[in-house]
Amino acid sequence: MRVLVVDPDPARAALVAEGLAGVDPLEVRHVATFDPREAQSFQPDVIVVASDSPDRDTIESLREATAANPQPVVMFVDRSEPGLAEAAVRAGVSAYVVDGLSKARVRSVLEVAMSRFQLMNQLRQDLEKAKADLASRKTVERAKALLMKERGLDEEAAYRLLRKLSMDTGRPLGAVAADLLAFAGVLKGEGP
Amino acid sequence: MSAARLRLGFIALNDAASLIVADARGLFAAEGLEVELVREVSWATIRDKVNVGALHGAHMLAPMALATALGASGAEPVPLSASFTLNLNGPAITLSSRLSGALAPDGGADGLARLIARRRAEGASPLTLAVVFPFSSHAYLLRDWLARAGVDPDRDVRLTVAPPSRMTELLVSGVVEGFCVTEPWDSAAVAAGAGVIAARGAALWPRTPDKVFVTTEAWADAHPDALQGLLRALLKAAAWADAPENRAELAAILAQPHYVDASAAVIEASLGGMVFHAEGASAPAPIHAAWLAAQMMRWGHISADVDLAGLAQRVYRPDLYATAATALGLSAPAPLESLKGFSSAGEFRLADAHRHAAQAPLSRVAGG
Repeated sequence: MRVLVVDPDPARAALVAEGLAGVDPLEVRHVATFDPREAQSFQPDVIVVASDSPDRDTIESLREATAANPQPVVMFVDRSEPGLAEAAVRAGVSAYVVDGLSKARVRSVLEVAMSRFQLMNQLRQDLEKAKADLASRKTVERAKALLMKERGLDEEAAYRLLRKLSMDTGRPLGAVAADLLAFAGVLKGEGP
Repeated sequence: MSAARLRLGFIALNDAASLIVADARGLFAAEGLEVELVREVSWATIRDKVNVGALHGAHMLAPMALATALGASGAEPVPLSASFTLNLNGPAITLSSRLSGALAPDGGADGLARLIARRRAEGASPLTLAVVFPFSSHAYLLRDWLARAGVDPDRDVRLTVAPPSRMTELLVSGVVEGFCVTEPWDSAAVAAGAGVIAARGAALWPRTPDKVFVTTEAWADAHPDALQGLLRALLKAAAWADAPENRAELAAILAQPHYVDASAAVIEASLGGMVFHAEGASAPAPIHAAWLAAQMMRWGHISADVDLAGLAQRVYRPDLYATAATALGLSAPAPLESLKGFSSAGEFRLADAHRHAAQAPLSRVAGG
């Protein structure tokens, strides 16, 4: 397990390392300030950040930007701020650790964070795929309507024509439909 | 009302001046309010704390308030009320001194565009530019500046996020080649010999909207008296901070370690173009919110079916501000109807927001 701890306080980083003793292989790297390049070369399985670290904005934006290779983020939160931890989780932090945590719980918190993150990531990917499928279906419907109108075809024939174009060119149905709509727009004098 | 303890959050920047002055000069106390002004170190933490009530009110990036109200960053939407504009004209675009040859005298990014094209031809890695948060005036200002010169901010450069106070250090070490943040951190980079200011926000968006004071809408509804007290104190503080004869003292207050914690001389120099109160600057103008939300839509950060005018008018609350101004015997300015000089497409009105988002250069809104 590769763990990057971003925290101005070395004691908390030491706590994480102690709590993970026995995990093999294990590499815990502690930094006071976050450096995206260093994080990229280290490739952590999980990032632990203190809620009072100025780097939280960087890590949060990085998580959105690097959708291809995201990492779960665990946050240290001061116990004097009730509700903050829940808000952080709603904002995308995978799990949180309240100050005063015993080292015995570090391992389970990190493991829960990673599995929760994988679950959320899977859900997000499913949602994106569902959205893309829906958009593609809408495009096909519009292309069908265009063919029906311009070529006087019935719905079934318009669909068959799109399928044939798709098979002839070896491209997905949605892509062929999008091309058709774009070219029709150009012919009508719209677009580029 | 009885003095309940209120916790207000801020980030160490010049544009927190009205909050800091109200605290330092006892203006909250004069309204019978016991306020604890808490310095936070990240915008994400400010947002989270406002959402859960750990802060009753805060200094916030205007686009962050809009994004939070929409739930745009994946979290649940939390309706926020922006009842006070904390500043206009804060941000600037600063480039590394190494790139000073790419600066254009008119403040445009054309020289940078040529540099980027040359680097691409040579196979060099894209330039990295930093902003303080994705949902910020700074990010949208920088994107607009680049787009005007034909540079695609998502394809031709790498945009990253870093804390304002660390920008100079990142320039010096070459981690970033430029950034857009609010003062004093641009002037601090110049003073350190690390950076040159390529363009002031006001050159692109005159009287640039930047930070607002927010509470949750629920808190504003439940505590109208406390909110009015806060707004009266902020109004007095903003008027004091704006007076030219107070600027040296303002710089000295902001410089203190528990406030902005930077050199008083740099702060005073960098306060030059900032407006806190004059000509209705502190009144929240929904047209500013609509402009920023249109930028968010332009770049595909919010869905193309958001009702921009409705969002702007729900979050920005000139009515709450007007009540406080009237109580102080000030006439509340009529909200701005339009923005002039923000784009080559001409005057911008609430009703234009959607069209503008779709037609601005490099717009990600499909279908135009």
